[in-house]
Amino acid sequence: MKEWYDSIKKAQSVDKLEEIRVAIFGKKGVLAAEFARMKSASDEEKAQIAKDLNTHKSSLMNELTARKIVLQTLELQEKMQAEAIDVSLYSTTSQAGGLHPVMETMDRIVEYFSAMNFAVKTGNMVEDDFNNFEALNLPKYHPARDMQDTFYFKDEMLLRTHTSPVQIRTMMSTKPPIRMIAPGAVFRRDYDLTHTPMFHQVEGLLVDEEGKVSFANLKYILEDFLKYMFGDVEVRFRPSFFPFTEPSAEVDISCVFCKGKGCRVCSKTGWLEVLGCGIVDPNVFEAVKYENVSGYAFGLGVERFAMLIHQIGDLRALFEGDIKLLEQFQ
Amino acid sequence: MIVTRSWLEEWIDLKGISTEELLKTFNSIGLEVDRVKSYVIPQKIVFGKVLECVKHPDADKLNVCQVDIGSSIRQIVCGASNVRVGLNVVVATIGAVMPSGLVIKPVKLRGVESEGMLCSATEIGIENCQDGILEIDSSIGAYTIGQEVCTNRLFSDDLIEIELTANRGDCLSIRGVARDLSAAFDRGLHEKAFTDNEDRRIGIGRILSLTHEKNLNVNLRYKAIELQNLTIPLAVKLRLAQIDENRESDIESVMLYATHSSGVVLRAYNYGFFCADNETMAKVELQEDENGYACIVAEKKASTIGIMQEDASRVAYDEGTVLIEASYIPPEIISKQMSICKVPTGPMYYRTSRGSEPELNLGLSFCLTLIEGNSDSSIFGGNIDLSDVYSEKIITVSKSEIDAIIGAQIDKVKITKILQNLGFNTNKSQLDKFVISVPRFRHDIVNKQDIIEEIVRMVGIDNIPAKPFIFTEANRLEDDYFFYKKRRIYRHKAANSGFFESVHFIFDEKKILEKYGFVCTNEELELLNPIVSTLDTLRPTLLTGMLKAASQNAKNGYDSIRLFEVGSVFTPLREESLKMSLLFSGHREKDAINNSGKPAKVDFGFFVQKISDIVGTIELRNYKTKHTLSHPYQTAEIVVDAQVIGEVFRLHPDVQEAYGLDVTYICELDFSKLPYALKTAKKVSKYQASFRDLSIIMPKGMHYDKVKSVIAENASSEVINFYPVDKYSDASLGENMSLTLRFMLQSDEKTLEEEDISSSMESVLKALNSELGVGLR
Repeated sequence: MKEWYDSIKKAQSVDKLEEIRVAIFGKKGVLAAEFARMKSASDEEKAQIAKDLNTHKSSLMNELTARKIVLQTLELQEKMQAEAIDVSLYSTTSQAGGLHPVMETMDRIVEYFSAMNFAVKTGNMVEDDFNNFEALNLPKYHPARDMQDTFYFKDEMLLRTHTSPVQIRTMMSTKPPIRMIAPGAVFRRDYDLTHTPMFHQVEGLLVDEEGKVSFANLKYILEDFLKYMFGDVEVRFRPSFFPFTEPSAEVDISCVFCKGKGCRVCSKTGWLEVLGCGIVDPNVFEAVKYENVSGYAFGLGVERFAMLIHQIGDLRALFEGDIKLLEQFQ
Repeated sequence: MIVTRSWLEEWIDLKGISTEELLKTFNSIGLEVDRVKSYVIPQKIVFGKVLECVKHPDADKLNVCQVDIGSSIRQIVCGASNVRVGLNVVVATIGAVMPSGLVIKPVKLRGVESEGMLCSATEIGIENCQDGILEIDSSIGAYTIGQEVCTNRLFSDDLIEIELTANRGDCLSIRGVARDLSAAFDRGLHEKAFTDNEDRRIGIGRILSLTHEKNLNVNLRYKAIELQNLTIPLAVKLRLAQIDENRESDIESVMLYATHSSGVVLRAYNYGFFCADNETMAKVELQEDENGYACIVAEKKASTIGIMQEDASRVAYDEGTVLIEASYIPPEIISKQMSICKVPTGPMYYRTSRGSEPELNLGLSFCLTLIEGNSDSSIFGGNIDLSDVYSEKIITVSKSEIDAIIGAQIDKVKITKILQNLGFNTNKSQLDKFVISVPRFRHDIVNKQDIIEEIVRMVGIDNIPAKPFIFTEANRLEDDYFFYKKRRIYRHKAANSGFFESVHFIFDEKKILEKYGFVCTNEELELLNPIVSTLDTLRPTLLTGMLKAASQNAKNGYDSIRLFEVGSVFTPLREESLKMSLLFSGHREKDAINNSGKPAKVDFGFFVQKISDIVGTIELRNYKTKHTLSHPYQTAEIVVDAQVIGEVFRLHPDVQEAYGLDVTYICELDFSKLPYALKTAKKVSKYQASFRDLSIIMPKGMHYDKVKSVIAENASSEVINFYPVDKYSDASLGENMSLTLRFMLQSDEKTLEEEDISSSMESVLKALNSELGVGLR
């Protein structure tokens, strides 16, 4: 019997082990032969032989099972080894698409103001003179109405030069209070390195009771907004002039490239102009027939925000569907 | 508007205020600093005096000078033609390092020793000031021979360029800017005192008469001068060089200097222009010209007031009688007229249209004092005037109104001081009510908020505390927001499905669009002033823009191009609607190890699957596009819930070639029709579903549409879904093909038995056979 123990131990494959199993336990196997031989033995011997044989039977079976597990594990190991790959061959980049940096920036801006309980309002790009200019205190002779700056149609309609007409239309159709932003494409007749004939704006408007809305309120929301968009920056307000607000201000942030030390992007000033804002001019309220109200308004160029946030150098590339640029925003 | 520190100091004391603080103040009061330049004259460059000047023995163009440089007298060889004895000059002494980097050393010039250099303006870093070496005069202030030039304030000046907003015509002069600073720093404005000795003079009335029919809203004041030996002082030359302005004649240069200093629009006229033949009396007539502008006329037009002077009336002589005109015309009148009838404009128009200084004497006296002090000219006594009727603007505003708009308490005394320093009269104010009379030079101030803006500017926005606005909460999620959100969701889906978002101009090229069969904006509604001919109409489709972008990317070497856009398009009547377009060109994926570098190309099924990933379940129907971009046999309209939402097609091979593209598929969808409703869960069966395939033989020309509708109408309720999974044809099938359909069957009540399934399939087959003559394979 000893040799069978050895052969189980030496078996190198599951198949070989199966052969051994058949040779031991099969109908014509050694155990069957040994049990057959038992028939000729005396009763006394029989009992002893049977006992011995049964002991062998169960220990051989144990050996066999144990060996089988070892061999199966080894075989699986070998099989898996054969399936080895060089994972470093598969280093890869995303094949997903991506959102346009300007649109994604607009989404972030809208997200902020929505969270601040501003309504989102949109409007048509083809506008009339009243909503785009006249109601905004841009009288007929204002230089901004020059043919050089505005796209006109043959029937005296025009392409909106800002999203402010959405604010006028909202005020004409709803009663105060108003708390809204107007995101969208706007158009100016300019095409060079730093100007495209179409770009995007988000403008905001707040109208409430007279005496309620102050410049201090405007300062609060814009400082908070700019920190949300640009992170830890300094914010500076400079008095400025817009026909539709009074007092008006331009808002600068400390340069995001040089942290205010002065570089090429900020023309060595350490500051970047990013917003225009002010207290709504009474003439605007008069145009929309609002009485006893006060309000603030602000406006920004989304392309400028996107270019500063994502450090994009070329404005015109934003409108060319250039995958070289877009694939960086997967 | 360019100012310099020393120039400002003629009107305001800036002692103790660093240039940095000055810049900060400009920005904080709304005069945005655009550019700063500091003039730094190197050390060891000193004032000197030419004591002797003799020709160089061996060089015609050189002079050998003995120059007093304070500490000693040096021999310096100079090549400038204007060098002469007695001249005060700028000398670069031994060891001086010039702005160009040149180091001054003792040299021999054609054998003659030279210890230093007499400097031209350019050599010390001042462009376009004066030819030859600088001739120093008393206009630069007190100086001594030997003193370093950099210690003189005119030579160590700071130039500041301010970008003025359109409303601030009052700051288009040094005096005007100084006035704003006087309010910011609360320091008084030094007005210049002009002495006018009228007694000895011949009256101007003897040589000039002014006639007019209507006033035409004009303010005019004339002086006459007998011009003789005018020399322009160095300080004036220097500053005109700094503001980069120069005029052909000395008298015009002086006028310009006076205008830039005072803000008054000044002109010099050729006296003879107004005199008829053999007459010594000049007759100036104010008329309205054919374009509606006030103008000055003799026999011909001399000038359009505030806009342009005719060359013929200008002064081209150094000696003789000159008429000096100061004028003011309200900017709103001139701008309005310009919008009605545009005419060519001269250099003064910018100033006039933004508001020049209405106090004409300020400019006239400034310029005449300058001329008298630097020439042998004599001035005619008196002046000839014309004024319009102007009534003062009074604005009343209370302290509480001011505080409410600013959002902070501003001290009453401070408010009064600010307004007074800015030239407003507040004498009639009572208690907390400010009664403010607006000076004429502030035509931009018309209401309370304009006044408050002045206070905000001077208080400084940085000094106003930020305060959150307290408001009543309200649901502000309205339709426009949901539409915006839908747009954002679809954009995200498209990006996640492998497409890059592109944004194109809403303009496109009419010629190209029409070539491909698109209908553009109606002619009478078309763009009047397109920016370029390739962007001359509103786009009726996103498709051409997408193709242009794809083409550019193909040129850049991209062989898998996936783009999408959500943007506005316009009907011929210019009605705007939103579309979504997706484009897939070339390889399905990047070439990589898992596709052995040979990725499969996009095909119809693959592209349609991408659309479905974004839009949801779609049904395709055979379709013929109205344009000619499409492959006629691979075009479909896309249907969702029985509504057509757009079209999908393979790009026509000719178009593909024209745009230099690989195989390309593209779709355009009506954004408003894309599904967006909240989903409703259907009841699902607890019992197992069964699947059964059916291979039918049908004519090759028969569209699956037909098969589908027959099955849909006739299938039993257990047929939950069915779809084609395989198609096959070979010679034995001839004009027919085999199409395998997979049916999903399920019941709400039980697990379906074989006989239920068979009977369902049978009824399908029976219907197909009877209605289409189609049977099993």
